[in-house]
Amino acid sequence: MPAQGMPRPPRPRPVDPPTEVIPRVEDDYDDEYYDDDEYYDGEDDKPAPPPDSFARKAVRGFGEALITMGLVVLLFVVYEVYVTDLLSAEKQQEATAALDSEWGSNVVTPPPSDPNRQTKLNLIEGKAFAKMYIPVFGNDWKFSVVEGTTDKHLEIGPGHYKDTAQPGEPGNFSIAGHRVGKGAPFNDLDLLQSCNAIVVQTQTQWFVYRVLPMRNEVAGWASDPKSKQPACAGVAPLSTTLGDAYAKTVGQEIVAPTQGEVIAPIPHQVNATVPPDKQARLLTLTTCHPRFSDKQRLIVHAIETKSYPVADGFVPPEMTEG
Amino acid sequence: MYGWIWRHLPGPLFLRIIQAVVLVAGIVALLMFVVFPWAEPKLPFNNVTTE
Repeated sequence: MPAQGMPRPPRPRPVDPPTEVIPRVEDDYDDEYYDDDEYYDGEDDKPAPPPDSFARKAVRGFGEALITMGLVVLLFVVYEVYVTDLLSAEKQQEATAALDSEWGSNVVTPPPSDPNRQTKLNLIEGKAFAKMYIPVFGNDWKFSVVEGTTDKHLEIGPGHYKDTAQPGEPGNFSIAGHRVGKGAPFNDLDLLQSCNAIVVQTQTQWFVYRVLPMRNEVAGWASDPKSKQPACAGVAPLSTTLGDAYAKTVGQEIVAPTQGEVIAPIPHQVNATVPPDKQARLLTLTTCHPRFSDKQRLIVHAIETKSYPVADGFVPPEMTEG
Repeated sequence: MYGWIWRHLPGPLFLRIIQAVVLVAGIVALLMFVVFPWAEPKLPFNNVTTE
């Protein structure tokens, strides 16, 4: 700073012998001055105005801007992880309430005697049409599934891909859901094991889907003691029961976002022409992967193993698993 | 910037503190309910569907 530089030049003076005495005098003089409170007060105020130069202001402004941006980013994380949960919880509640009142008010048409010939649901975009439970995630894990998979729909809850099969239909009933924030319905999707139940309830029917054997379980499934467990009844690698078309359909896979073929009626076989009555009744869940990123998609495939008609007070035994 | 705002808040100290708190709350609300909901779909964090 130029103000500080001014007093420096006198320093060379001590070279001159006669001036040797003078610095002592200055010292005393200074001490007296610094003991004086009034002098101090003046000293504190005075240096302030000159340093407020343009450069100083600019640097300070830049620093404050950086701090502010950092705070905004932190705030965004809070928004993404916590605030969207609150906003979505409200929407999910509304959707569930609407669904409950619809189910309660309508005269329930008895489920068709032949489960293969069930009536189609009338799906309206943005409206909930089914409830979904994953018992291993706990009793409190339940979501109303809405029709449609745009951002707006997924804010409400898990969304059903339009044009994919309906619950219980042959083909691939596919659902997308958020993994972080917005209620994070599919947060723990990576923890699902083969044979875990995913229960879907419509107005008239319960459908029990079970996660298919994982890729590393497919080969040894027949000899795996796990396959003998009651929970695994009806679950087997699809390639052994339904042929090679289903060879790529395993319990869990991680794919690129562009691989829409995972929700095809026969996953990974977009062009396959298998008549619907030969198609397996699959459920596919999709969410982002890894957490906090949208680089890839985590996919879980499950197959329908059981269905029950909805009846007063009846809850499928699978609901108490886990 | 913060110093400038502080100097321009009128009234005694406690009034200034109240004003500052209100300002901060207002800006946080603006971010949470307007800016972030608008910006979020444009950021690559939370796409869960396949194409």
